[in-house]
Amino acid sequence: MSGDLGKYLEQIDKCSHCEFCQATCPSFREELVETLLARSRLLLIKACLIDRELTPSPRFRDIVDGCLMCGRCVEACPARIPVDEVVAAARGELNKGKFCHELRRRALTRFMANRGPDRMIAFAFAIAEKMGLWPPGIPQPVSAPVTGKLSGVVKSRGQERGRVVYYIGCAANSLDPVTARDVVQVFTENGIEVMVPPDLVCCGLPALAEGDLEEARGAVVRNLEILGGLDAEAIITDCSSCGMMLKVKSLSLIPAGHPLRATAEAVSGKVWEATEYLNGVGLSRKPGGLEVVYTYHEPCHRSFSPTMKDAPRALLASLPGSRFSELADPGQCCGAGGTFFLEHRDLSGRIRAKKLEDIKSTGAEVVISQCPACRAYLAAALPGKELLHPLSLLARAYGFRGGG
Amino acid sequence: MAKNKNIARDLFRLLNADKVLAEPEDRLCYAADATRYFAQRSPDAVVLPETTEDVSRVMKYAFARTIPVTPRGAGSGLSGGCTPIKGGIVLDMKRMNRIVEINLTNLVAQVEPGVVLAHFQRAVEKEKLFYPPDPQSMDVCTLGGNIATRAGGPRGVKYGATGNYVLGLEVVLPDGSVINTGGTCVKHSVGYDLTHLLTGSEGTLGVITRANLRLLPLPPARKTMVAVCETPEQAASLVTEIISQGAVPARLEFLLKSGIGLMNVYLANRLPMTGEAYLLMEIDGLPAQVREESGRIAAICAGMKVLETRVVEDDKEAESYWRARQNLNPILQAIFKRVISEDITVPRDKIPQLVQAMHEISVSLGIPLGLAGHAGDGNIHPTVLLAQVNEETEKKAAQAVERIIRTGLKLGGAISGEHGIGLHKSEFIELELGRTQIEVMKSIKKAIDPKGIMNPGKIWMEEAGL
Ligand SMILES: Cc1cc2nc3c(=O)[nH]c(=O)nc-3n(C[C@H](O)[C@H](O)[C@H](O)COP(=O)(O)OP(=O)(O)OC[C@H]3O[C@@H](n4cnc5c(N)ncnc54)[C@H](O)[C@@H]3O)c2cc1C
Repeated sequence: MSGDLGKYLEQIDKCSHCEFCQATCPSFREELVETLLARSRLLLIKACLIDRELTPSPRFRDIVDGCLMCGRCVEACPARIPVDEVVAAARGELNKGKFCHELRRRALTRFMANRGPDRMIAFAFAIAEKMGLWPPGIPQPVSAPVTGKLSGVVKSRGQERGRVVYYIGCAANSLDPVTARDVVQVFTENGIEVMVPPDLVCCGLPALAEGDLEEARGAVVRNLEILGGLDAEAIITDCSSCGMMLKVKSLSLIPAGHPLRATAEAVSGKVWEATEYLNGVGLSRKPGGLEVVYTYHEPCHRSFSPTMKDAPRALLASLPGSRFSELADPGQCCGAGGTFFLEHRDLSGRIRAKKLEDIKSTGAEVVISQCPACRAYLAAALPGKELLHPLSLLARAYGFRGGG
Repeated sequence: MAKNKNIARDLFRLLNADKVLAEPEDRLCYAADATRYFAQRSPDAVVLPETTEDVSRVMKYAFARTIPVTPRGAGSGLSGGCTPIKGGIVLDMKRMNRIVEINLTNLVAQVEPGVVLAHFQRAVEKEKLFYPPDPQSMDVCTLGGNIATRAGGPRGVKYGATGNYVLGLEVVLPDGSVINTGGTCVKHSVGYDLTHLLTGSEGTLGVITRANLRLLPLPPARKTMVAVCETPEQAASLVTEIISQGAVPARLEFLLKSGIGLMNVYLANRLPMTGEAYLLMEIDGLPAQVREESGRIAAICAGMKVLETRVVEDDKEAESYWRARQNLNPILQAIFKRVISEDITVPRDKIPQLVQAMHEISVSLGIPLGLAGHAGDGNIHPTVLLAQVNEETEKKAAQAVERIIRTGLKLGGAISGEHGIGLHKSEFIELELGRTQIEVMKSIKKAIDPKGIMNPGKIWMEEAGL
């Protein structure tokens, strides 16, 4: 039995089989097969990898890989069992010593350190696209990270009300630099100085999702060494998943007793998703009018901050001329699951189809969300509609167009 | 093993491949319901039917080969009802999940059995209609499972349980034939009432594939109240007092201090831990009626000198109390190694005696007993809580269960109010029904299911065979 999994045994045993995870688990809700349910994943991981009553089969592998790691089951679970972490540990166990995995791992390591593809990886992506392995409409990451261009301090306009450190998510960095610029613009416009530190690496979540705890921990440590030394009131990020990683998952990777534990706690206490932070301190500059009908898709990685999903609604309520049209089920997963959709195109596509219907019936032209993966994945299937970070919409109301 | 392979092979021929699961991993995940400890073995195969025709085909096949079939909704049952203890086929009904019609004039809905209760409630509430039955598993449990167990919940006190809302059923019988019982009218007096024979039959007589359910107009106003009581006895007398003075809350829940401690985690405005017992209530109706009734209840509480009466005006805050209540049972499950939810129901005026008796059982056996439930309708679930599972604690638990059941019967009550018998209570059913009644029931079973293939081993202990 692996050490990583073993430490979850007690929590796995807390599963009472109440079935409450059926209400939220996206893979279950799509297939209506109980095997693809959070509680079943726990049951089978225990049977195959801890008790060794069943031999891990291809079907077992599918079940473990078929989790979107959205964490919605953890929210629904009365016992708060960290199902996503157990699944990650199981993936780690299954990947051990696998050659294919070693290759992926090396690529991922480089991607994470580089915060985007280097030439080798970009080449691999291009081939994947040619072979039809890359889903149509999804942009490929580019290797011109925006951090380099933004790093340093951007002074606030007018009276300074505060200073924040901006952790630019990898997606904004290599796919969507406009979002990063919008965040800086909106903050500085509201009297908040923004500092973008150089040399930060990926938050580590992609490695964690693969069960590569060592790699994930390495990334967390690297970032803590930088973030821990900075003097700022808050650390903001444009990406809800990076937010979750920096705020809560980093603490489970840096357990009590680790030399960086105190730093990890201090950093965790300062982490905010950008929209939520701004909503908390309030706008000092009034936005102008913006004729737009928009809706809001809540990212799955939201439970690290219970009010994160209220922030875009509250902050943008004051946009003159705009109309907010609520989704019937704003919290339901869109199927992206980070990079899940790359390898599970059929299941992801079916989960997304429901979301698309919901979006279309709101009549919105713009969909806002704090998750870059959701935005890219939804945009690919919504020609004619725009997918924006909430602060990008605000940036437009201030008259900045496309990163000003 | 060969048997499993054969059944799976036949089913794959009979139905689309994506409607059949037969890998060991899948089968293992369908072995239990929410009482994990009743799981005995995996089914040989799981079928996910999408139409009545699919169900009928499977039943014809199973009937010809004498293969056990166990219907399953969400698997959230608390009696072991959907556990396939004799193997065979599990029929997972969740894909039959269409709301076929909500008829606004006739106040009736037609549904497939796999519709999730909370989805259904939201859909009818959009039309300003109301489907009251509210088992606390409503976010996941299915209408088919509710009907098959006569599920109920806090609203039982004013609105009754699922059985009160079933007007008609489409049922696939063990031999695969399909019947339509009852209808869509509130009145129906034609022959034996098969609708209500199948309601509560726990999957032992046939498979429910469609249901006509009665709806009510949605009460326009509601208000939540909490009474903090000095002792459990005071809370119990308060229940009797409130009802005998003509106030009927829509929900009336009895909770102990320990339960409140766990629920507080979910409450923004925590409840004081000063009381030993609490009543959580909801009053609904027309706005004037809600004002009058909540005023009257507050006066009764004051008259009985309870420690505090809290009136929750904000809807969102009120919702959080009910959400917390909903999570109570699963939280207990996470804390204790084993949680046995008993389900006795007693006449309302016997609640004070019941509370007293439960206290005595707990003290004399030295075993913790939770008490949280639908006091308004006499269905307070005494819950046996085991921190460790071993021979000694299991023996004590068994003694506690037997004494709880006997107490319920002595007070003129029933051994199950809403969970059904399943495996959990089959050893006690004779105590309540007596030999003759059981013989009548068994002959009904034999007439409808001559080969004994429908959910075998449930409700009463079967003689060997099959
Ligand atoms: C946390 C928690 C709280 C609960 N609270 C309550 C409560 O307040 N009140 C209450 O009454 N119950 C409660 N329950 C128990 C349970 O949720 C109910 O019994 C519910 O009605 C079961 O529905 P299900 O869809 O999960 O059915 P299952 O558990 O899958 O099945 C229950 C029984 O119905 C049969 N069945 C299911 N579908 C069909 C069908 N289509 N045709 C024929 N037979 C069928 C099965 O064979 C089985 O015997 C609770 C359970 C949990 C875990």
